[in-house]
Amino acid sequence: MRYDELIQDDRIHASLYTDPAIFADEIERIFHRGWVFVGHASEIPNAGDFVTRPVGGQPAIMVRRADGTIAVMLNRCRHRGTMVCAVDRGTTRTFACPYHGWTYDLDGALIGVPYPGGYDASFDRSTRGLVHAPRVDEYRGFVFASLGADGVTLAEHLGKATRLIDRSCDLSPEGEIALTAGWVKHRCAANWKMLPENDSDGYHLGFVHRALFKTVRSQYQTVVGEERTIKAVVRDWGGGHIEIDWSPGYQGNFEWFGGVPDALVAGYLEKMERRHGSARTRQLVFEGPAHALIFPNLFLGETNVAIVQPVDVDTCVHWHTPIFWKGASEFNGRLLRQSEAGMGPASFLMPEDLAVAARNHAGLRARHVEWLELGRGLNRETMDAEGRMVSHVTDETINRALWKHYRAVMTAA
Amino acid sequence: MTERERQAVVDFLHREARLADEARYAEWLALWTDDAVYWVPATTDPAADPEKHLSHIYDNRGRLETRVKMLQSGFRYSQEPASLMRRLISNIEIARTPAGELIAESNFILGELAVQAAHEMHWWVGRTTHRLRVVDGELRMCAKKVVLVNAAEPLPNLTFLI
Repeated sequence: MRYDELIQDDRIHASLYTDPAIFADEIERIFHRGWVFVGHASEIPNAGDFVTRPVGGQPAIMVRRADGTIAVMLNRCRHRGTMVCAVDRGTTRTFACPYHGWTYDLDGALIGVPYPGGYDASFDRSTRGLVHAPRVDEYRGFVFASLGADGVTLAEHLGKATRLIDRSCDLSPEGEIALTAGWVKHRCAANWKMLPENDSDGYHLGFVHRALFKTVRSQYQTVVGEERTIKAVVRDWGGGHIEIDWSPGYQGNFEWFGGVPDALVAGYLEKMERRHGSARTRQLVFEGPAHALIFPNLFLGETNVAIVQPVDVDTCVHWHTPIFWKGASEFNGRLLRQSEAGMGPASFLMPEDLAVAARNHAGLRARHVEWLELGRGLNRETMDAEGRMVSHVTDETINRALWKHYRAVMTAA
Repeated sequence: MTERERQAVVDFLHREARLADEARYAEWLALWTDDAVYWVPATTDPAADPEKHLSHIYDNRGRLETRVKMLQSGFRYSQEPASLMRRLISNIEIARTPAGELIAESNFILGELAVQAAHEMHWWVGRTTHRLRVVDGELRMCAKKVVLVNAAEPLPNLTFLI
């Protein structure tokens, strides 16, 4: 595949969204060799707690081991390949295969083989444990895994983008978030890359979401006015990590939260200042949590965390759950209702995004037009003092950043 | 409960279903009381708590009105054009609460042709609990809970009236 021809500075080829061979290549290079977000440590607080979840299309288990560390293992018995666990989440001491009773402990070690007389002394249980993702690491409870043994470290993969994760976590007076509300999964008839691209697209808001803006006031109102009055920006953090920063357009604190009554925040602000000091606290509550993609599948959706799950070249699933900030449970009810308003199949925002993504995907079948434009904002983007490209929120600066990183990953040796 | 009361509840359920199927948004909204709670959990777990767990829908009257206004705006692209739908309601069981309200439980199967992009047929199946009250001589909904059998699975757009 000639990715350097398919991805050019100001245009990309439609086959990147529609070719099953490219999809298979992406799963191998991006989702198996690279780092992908799996889940959050707060989902499995105690030893034996687990969730099951696809990692790069493969069934996997994220489990809290007896020693308190987190493992990510393939959900596949080493005997005949049966999934050892069939529920979304739970607490256990062992994973027992229903087919012939092979049993594994929380480390994935094979601890039980019924009727062992059928194997001789050369049968080595130690080589038949559940297969671990060779690399698992976390940052502030965000658990990432790589199914490749080699490659950049998680710290190298995240680079400066850890500051985006910090921005979301530091709104907790204890510095920790909890993802305990459960996930909603939203299926979309479009290629998976349309989700991160759309999550980072500041150009579509006033059009795709016109029904919402015509009906109620929201925090996004300030970015759908005249082009020259819009102050929000997009920012390329490198490594495919990209951000929409609405905060330059905000007029006051908590605007990202639709404004907050004083009664809800007095005690919160006091706790925040004790931890962060008053200047950092003011910055945090003014800017709000990040709106950013951590390449390739973690979307920090302001008060939500979202996962992009590729299914096949024509299908993907968008998962989301609200962020709860530890030490600020007074916000939880509002966070739940805001989450239901913004994301999920019955919400007021994402259904339009995914309906348009499906129309986008269907439109790309018009193959006598081969290219998609990617040049918006090339005339006005600028590099900031930290070497990050920044531009008007409606510009395709961050789409280009995403595709540039994609091309590097897809053409790497 | 008299047979007449029972028939009034069944007639209400059928009428509500028809108004939802036919995207008759204003008439459907008029079936609700002001203390409306419209709940579609994101799980089939009967212990689901909307104050602790994320739902697909947990609308009060204000949010319900927003939902309907968006559908009426002509720009709710996930329902533009509106899905073509018909639903069957069956297995109806009705009980009266000590406060004099009526609880109607029923099963449904709903065929939806989603005509917004790929013209996919979606089949929705679940159990509904209506809480009904007589207001000015007419039955009105004060709560409707819809538990989809696939509530926890990846769902396509659910922006029609379920």
